[in-house]
Amino acid sequence: MIELRHVWKRYHTFKASGWVLRDVDFVIPRNVSVGVIGRNGAGKSTLLRLIAAMDSPERGQVVRHCRVSWPIGLFSGLQPTMTGRQNAKFVARIHGDGASIAEVMAKVEQFADIGEAMDRPIKTYSSGMRARLNFGLSLAFDFDVYLSDEATAVGDAAFRNKASAAFKERVGKASLVMVSHQEGILKELCQAGVLIDQGHAYWFDDVNEALTAYGELTGPGNVTKAAH
Amino acid sequence: MTERTIRSPWQVTWSVWKALFLREFMTRITQDRLAWFWMLFEPIAFIVIFVAIRTVILGSSRLIAGAEYVPWLLIGLLGFFLFRENMVRSIKAVEQTRNLFSYRQVKPIDPVLVRCFLEGWIKTFILAGFVAVGVLLGLGMFPEDFPLALFGWISLWLLGSGVALVVSVLAALVDEIGKIIQILSFPLLLISGVMFPLNFLPHDLTALLLINPILHGIELLRLGFFEAYQPVQGISTIYLWLWILGTLMLGLALHMRFELRLKAL
Repeated sequence: MIELRHVWKRYHTFKASGWVLRDVDFVIPRNVSVGVIGRNGAGKSTLLRLIAAMDSPERGQVVRHCRVSWPIGLFSGLQPTMTGRQNAKFVARIHGDGASIAEVMAKVEQFADIGEAMDRPIKTYSSGMRARLNFGLSLAFDFDVYLSDEATAVGDAAFRNKASAAFKERVGKASLVMVSHQEGILKELCQAGVLIDQGHAYWFDDVNEALTAYGELTGPGNVTKAAH
Repeated sequence: MTERTIRSPWQVTWSVWKALFLREFMTRITQDRLAWFWMLFEPIAFIVIFVAIRTVILGSSRLIAGAEYVPWLLIGLLGFFLFRENMVRSIKAVEQTRNLFSYRQVKPIDPVLVRCFLEGWIKTFILAGFVAVGVLLGLGMFPEDFPLALFGWISLWLLGSGVALVVSVLAALVDEIGKIIQILSFPLLLISGVMFPLNFLPHDLTALLLINPILHGIELLRLGFFEAYQPVQGISTIYLWLWILGTLMLGLALHMRFELRLKAL
């Protein structure tokens, strides 16, 4: 279970930056996978960062009652000049004791399935290969909640099937909070939905309702309305 | 999933340090191939240049009271480089580790501490190498007061680490500060009494130069190596350690205050 209690967030990096998230308040129940949707720049990734404890809210609180992964994205978490294997080992080392490193590495190699590219620097990887490595890496650990930030967007069909299968296998044990613009995968993997608009978050018990609401918000007739 | 145990904060930090250390170490030996050469070459080049300057321009009249010139210069240079590398390497420590802040276990202070630790050991090995060669050449390089030399060396290491903690935050928040500090490293070499003895300077000027804590550290280190050496008047261990503790405290405080901002940059 993850609780977000009246969370407000803004960044001070630029002058006069407004609130990215205003009074976000909901609870993600145990074993419920959530799709996070919203326009570009709506604050989806910020929400994920807060849930992952990469960042703290300005006001309010994020309470995690379980083990949460890092946000699995395309660019975060991997050092471009180091090889896939070196990156994976680093992550294995910070997450646990020495004994399990070999085990983690075997799982990563098996899931990522990028062959000898494991020994090439990350900067030579395609975005699909990065996603495979990052996903494989997070699945090698037993998290209760996995956070995915568009990591599924670039994968090929084989990778998507693999990712779906991995999460279906974990139903009842682990859940997913995923940011995505792909309706298909959201419907497939998530039960609930969160729509983020104008800094507010709206919780839907059914991901289909969230997608419908999002469709209305961004539909052709509502462009002007949505802009305000 | 039930067998999973929750690690204590200290265990988490320890595994992060170990992982970062291996990562930094790998980066230093694989991507910075010239670095090893430069670490040995830089002090040697300085010595050649300054011995040349001394014999050609100044003549050999100005002697260092209680120490041979070449060992005196070498110990000063290595002591200064220990401080300088800690300071300069920390400038980009936060920026170059940004990718890893995705993992909440890694905090901006971790790469700075790990770099200072690694840098200190590298410099210690270099010092040991030069001392060994010096002893073999019969230059009288072995520290005559070993505990004092060790104390001076550790003091310079800690001073460098304290400054590194402060600099790492400031340089990450304001880009220009990092550049200014890089430019400052050469003038610091000049005013730290590394290359010529400050005893020849007028008293007023020496008093001014004594504000610089690096000078205190280097003179202390030299005193450990050459027992008969006459350091600059006014060297104070307490003054040096006030700087060490002050910069360490300030650095830790800055890291606590700006942790989130450093992660979000």
